[in-house]
Amino acid sequence: MSVRNALLGLLLQHPRHGYELRAAFEALVGGKQNWEVKPAQIYTTLARLEEAGLVVQQGVEQESGPAKRIYAVTPQGRAELDAWFETGVEGAHQRDELFVKLMVSLALGSDIPEVGPQQVIRAQRSRLYQELHGLTAQRNAADPKSELAQIFLLDKAIMHVEADLRWLELLEARLDDICDQPLPEPEVKPRGRPKKMID
Amino acid sequence: MSTVSTDNLTKIYGSGPTAVTALGHVSIDVQSGQFVAVMGPSGCGKSTLLHMLGGLDRPTEGTVSIGDIPIAEMPDNRLTELRRRKIGFVFQFYNLIPVMTAVENAALPITLDGVRPAEAQKKAAEWLARFGLADRLHSRPDQLSGGQQQRVAIARALVAEPSLILADEPTGNLDSRASDEIAGLLADVSKKYERTVIMVTHDPRIAAYADRIIFLKDGKVVDETVLDTSTTESAVMLAEKIQGMGD
Repeated sequence: MSVRNALLGLLLQHPRHGYELRAAFEALVGGKQNWEVKPAQIYTTLARLEEAGLVVQQGVEQESGPAKRIYAVTPQGRAELDAWFETGVEGAHQRDELFVKLMVSLALGSDIPEVGPQQVIRAQRSRLYQELHGLTAQRNAADPKSELAQIFLLDKAIMHVEADLRWLELLEARLDDICDQPLPEPEVKPRGRPKKMID
Repeated sequence: MSTVSTDNLTKIYGSGPTAVTALGHVSIDVQSGQFVAVMGPSGCGKSTLLHMLGGLDRPTEGTVSIGDIPIAEMPDNRLTELRRRKIGFVFQFYNLIPVMTAVENAALPITLDGVRPAEAQKKAAEWLARFGLADRLHSRPDQLSGGQQQRVAIARALVAEPSLILADEPTGNLDSRASDEIAGLLADVSKKYERTVIMVTHDPRIAAYADRIIFLKDGKVVDETVLDTSTTESAVMLAEKIQGMGD
């Protein structure tokens, strides 16, 4: 949803064609090294927005080369954008890849002794420290006079990685206790017709 | 070249049934100019390791070498001298002398070593200036913020030009902003001024400034990770992943 709504917002700022839209989006997020959108994604999104009546073609810009269709936001698109701004963004913390990886490693247990939960924790810790090291370097290299928004974004990422590392620490400290507990089992529900009871 | 190494380093406190193994068979090798963080839960032996590396405590077994000189069996007077010339210490609570100014504090190790006060203070002032304290030379510790006091303490640790800096929770008493400053400064001490820095910390954010992290648990090295800036993903990609955003 976020790319779609961001594009909608940039079209509300002023009507643009796809190429310009892509450049504006990438500038906003601090460059395509941060968040790259492929041209195809821009054009697919524009087509979907148009289909949903949220944007409309306003004209064509033709200098040299192929014609560039210019899009503008409709009143419906404006309402959609307002709704986006008025709603909080959901934090997707429970559908966590590391957690499920860890649970699968617990489930496999002695079938995979060389890559047990302890190894999963270590590999993740190493990865997160690597990220934190790079983020810290980027943050310290950013210029607070012109890149304050980017700095805050980096701060957010740093705080999240820090929280993940602290969580890993807790997990590691209690790993033996976790291993001692039974794994959650699916609830067995009877399927199909109930079997006849035979005496 | 390795500046600091331990082989089979073991420290047992007490004896008989009440003996506690604070460190068990730790073998590490730290290259010259490296910035190493030592992490682990409290009681894991990280401070004990730092004390052994600094010659502040003697091992029960195994060896410690500083610049290829074994120090475990060294007589007290020689060890004291080596500690004064080759190793700088940074502590959590700065340990500055309250009645002395920043420059007097920073000059203290070499003043005690017989360098004339004027000369010692000139050298101390140079380190303080490198750490952004040129205009605070004559302030007393109580006139400085925590971060500034710790910078004075780091200048003091460097004034004798040691090749090794040992820091025990150097940011443990600081807020997060000052902590970042101090960690960045220690990274500079290693990169710009080419000293080996070994730092004990429990703060992941501070450890991330290092080149390498050693994890201790129950007196043993359980894990180790080498950090390399060049392979890191960008922040926004990471934020995107964390949020599960994106179309």
